[in-house]
Amino acid sequence: MAMKAWVPAAGPLAELQREMNRVFDSVFGRHFKPVGRIRSGYVYPPTNVRETDDAYTLECEVPGLEMADLEVYVTGNQLTVSGSRKRTIPEEEVTLHRHERDTGRFSRAVTLPSPVDSGGTEATLADGILAIRIPKTEEAKPKRVEVRVGD
Amino acid sequence: MAKPIDVAVETNHDPLEPPESYFVPATDVYETADELTLVAEMPGIKPDGLAVTVEDNVLVIRGRPGAKSEAGGEVLLQEFTAGEFYRAFQLPADYDTEKIEAGLRQGVLTLRLPKSERLKPRRIEVKVD
Repeated sequence: MAMKAWVPAAGPLAELQREMNRVFDSVFGRHFKPVGRIRSGYVYPPTNVRETDDAYTLECEVPGLEMADLEVYVTGNQLTVSGSRKRTIPEEEVTLHRHERDTGRFSRAVTLPSPVDSGGTEATLADGILAIRIPKTEEAKPKRVEVRVGD
Repeated sequence: MAKPIDVAVETNHDPLEPPESYFVPATDVYETADELTLVAEMPGIKPDGLAVTVEDNVLVIRGRPGAKSEAGGEVLLQEFTAGEFYRAFQLPADYDTEKIEAGLRQGVLTLRLPKSERLKPRRIEVKVD
């Protein structure tokens, strides 16, 4: 299902993108070494979303953040992850050789394709990855319809 | 240039063969009077998947993700994938590599390399006649 403001992960566009990546990697893969984690544009945090019959599961890459630095909200069927990446480099008496880690506030909202049961949301943080599970409402779960053979 | 740029420059010298494909961790490198600190983002890496080596003054950091847990369901959005992290840094000769302190917390590796006495800035007393 296509979602607003999301990078298409399924469908012909995504297939085209994957094919382009394959071609690019086969030509430049051994010589082209990107600095930093590969990201889709400048969207932070990088996020994976999966859908099962009864829930949505999200994973966000938030290295260095603690649970106290993060806020997770569910409003309707919109999930918002926000927080602040603190500067860890001392302000004074320091010589900077590399400064690649970003700092500052961020907020990201994703709209899920069907209604969710916000009260059942679970969020865990491990190894710099925030994992969120949001159950669907009963109405949004797929129902099996018995098909009767007509007389 | 006020500072030499040969401190912690990336290098092509690989004492450990780099993986076929890998992510380059975003890294802060900074220096104080007493030590050099590297802070590298390696989300998803656990301590048992991490390797830090120093050979011929080349510091190599490497992280392997654990076994993939089979997440079921349909992928709606995929912006990152699990993979190996790898990066090599050329160090100046005078760091005490025996005393490197390494810590991994929430996918961030912090390395502290104490300077040898020779590298530390010394105050020279100026005597006035």
